[in-house]
Amino acid sequence: MPELLLRSLEASTVFLFAALGELVDQRAGVLNVGIEGLMLFGGTLAFITAQTTGSYPLGFLVGFGVGALLGLVHGFFSVTLRGDQVVSGMGLWILSFGLTTYIGNPYTGPLGLPRIPALLGISPFVYLGVVLVVAVWFVLFRTGTGLAIRSVGENPAAADASGIDVARVRYLCVVFGGALAGVSGALYTLSYNPVWNYNFLMGWGFVSLALVFFSMWNPWILLAGSLLFGTMWQLSLAPELVLPGLLSRYVWRAVPFLVTILILAGISTAWFRTRWGLAKPEALGRPYVKG
Amino acid sequence: MRLGDRAFVLERRPTLPGLYGLVTAGVAILLALALASLLFLPGEADPASAYRIVFTYAFTNPYGLVATIHRAIYLLLCTFAFLVPLRAGLWNIGLPGQVYAGALAAFGVPFLLRAHAATAPSLAPGLVVVLMVLAATAAGAGCAGLAGVLRARFQVNEILVTMMLNSALFWLVADFIKEGGALMSATAEGESFVLPPFLQPPTAFGVPFTALIALLAAFGLDVLFARTALGFRIRAFGWSPPAARYAGIDPVRLPLLVFVVGGAFAGLAGYHYFGAVPGLYKIPSNYGYYGDLSFYGIICALIARGTALGAVPVALLFAGLSLGGRFAQGALHLPFGVDYAMLGLLMMTFVVSHVLYDFRLGERLAPRPPVPEVSAERP
Repeated sequence: MPELLLRSLEASTVFLFAALGELVDQRAGVLNVGIEGLMLFGGTLAFITAQTTGSYPLGFLVGFGVGALLGLVHGFFSVTLRGDQVVSGMGLWILSFGLTTYIGNPYTGPLGLPRIPALLGISPFVYLGVVLVVAVWFVLFRTGTGLAIRSVGENPAAADASGIDVARVRYLCVVFGGALAGVSGALYTLSYNPVWNYNFLMGWGFVSLALVFFSMWNPWILLAGSLLFGTMWQLSLAPELVLPGLLSRYVWRAVPFLVTILILAGISTAWFRTRWGLAKPEALGRPYVKG
Repeated sequence: MRLGDRAFVLERRPTLPGLYGLVTAGVAILLALALASLLFLPGEADPASAYRIVFTYAFTNPYGLVATIHRAIYLLLCTFAFLVPLRAGLWNIGLPGQVYAGALAAFGVPFLLRAHAATAPSLAPGLVVVLMVLAATAAGAGCAGLAGVLRARFQVNEILVTMMLNSALFWLVADFIKEGGALMSATAEGESFVLPPFLQPPTAFGVPFTALIALLAAFGLDVLFARTALGFRIRAFGWSPPAARYAGIDPVRLPLLVFVVGGAFAGLAGYHYFGAVPGLYKIPSNYGYYGDLSFYGIICALIARGTALGAVPVALLFAGLSLGGRFAQGALHLPFGVDYAMLGLLMMTFVVSHVLYDFRLGERLAPRPPVPEVSAERP
């Protein structure tokens, strides 16, 4: 059981990093539905870098950089060109899915490096994740920068009138979100499951995206949601620990995705929607045109 | 960007000439092919020879051509599954899930009727085939309909729901065809039973009846969108849901309808590829590969700019490229995934062509720099 808890924490951290970046993105009014693609690209290139150089830091750095770069691309299409954010996000996802299949294929198999050492028995990234949650909460709700980010996501025209550079804030957030998605992919391939295979994420990025909606754009609820989903994911891999022999292992693998749908439906009920409607950044997904 | 007394800015086109759509789609495809030539560099041939292998196999080799047509039908049906909700401004990216649902339902019919063995079924074989087609379309429609209901009733993001269903249904197929699952073959682990010969639909020149359905649907969908009140309502909803609501368009029934219709096409695609293509007639162990191929439908619909008939040549080209690419991959000893990499490049060039289509480089007279103040004092 302790092993299950430790693995659940690791899985939660992967969700947390990607979702936290997306939360900051969305707080600034930019929707990136392509975070699965950013994770795939970040994870694949981090894996290749770490395997060829034998260096974990370099691997994570590449994951970070690739994610940030793809975030920048998304920023260009959605902020500068004021294009459809869904088209741009989907484009990044399919581009990443297609290219990583080709690029990563020769590296199919285990990473072949010693595991990253634990800190007090727990993966060091778990601590880092909690620190990030605190930092993001502090910046968003206790600093002028956070106020600028939130105002850009709520009412960009008013933010602009008060002297905030809307495009600059959105670019910074989208690059930050992309970088965290890239690191999240690197966490998956270098720490949580250090094996590369075709389409290795199979929906983790989309679950992370769902977590942001579930969290009502609050970093603390996001942390709780990540822990819940991480645990549920691990249980779906080892269902015999709680409900032995009840369903086939394949049905259990489908459970986290079905539960995500149930939760998404649940948070859309009238009671929840009142609060959700209040929390949702008003300008989410809408390009800003200076009037 | 400033050049002398001129400034260049990227600005939206005030009008969008129809020819531009065709030109930008062509540019997107050509650009993707140019970029994809880099994929062939690790191979044993130069890009020109590699493309010759791709196109020769896909469009002139008798086996390759029939395989291209089978795949084109599949991609076309997947394109319609994406295109119908897209015209209403909704994204159905649950094509793989709906394909899996269709395949499971189609194979479930002979299993439940005990017609999957080599003995003759109690019902006429033709009737069983019709039931398989109906079950597949109903399963795909039901699966997409769930996303439609959640979107229409509760405003749940359809991208997330359809994506979650993709993963869930992927594992449900595994449950049915692996480790003693209900549809598992008696002789092979990890794949379904093979349809007996009397349930394999007749073909003309190696092409099953689903080709006719796909072509009729292409024509029918364009007529629907261009000439009917329902098509106008769908387009109006896609342009502006609030305006559509003021115009009396039901904001619940319409999203549900487009998802159900779209899902029915994806379900039919599932029947087509697994139940009607000669040489397959089963759900193979690599069903995930076929499911992921359905994402080509998204690009087809986007590049065809939402026209169903326009998607026909695009689907044929992409079918040939993906099949020929896979063939060249083996012939030139390239890494796995040339076809997927092409998919990614096509998506990227589509997004670029989208910019070309919507924007132009505008030229302005640059504002003059402020004249420096001259001191009033005379020397």
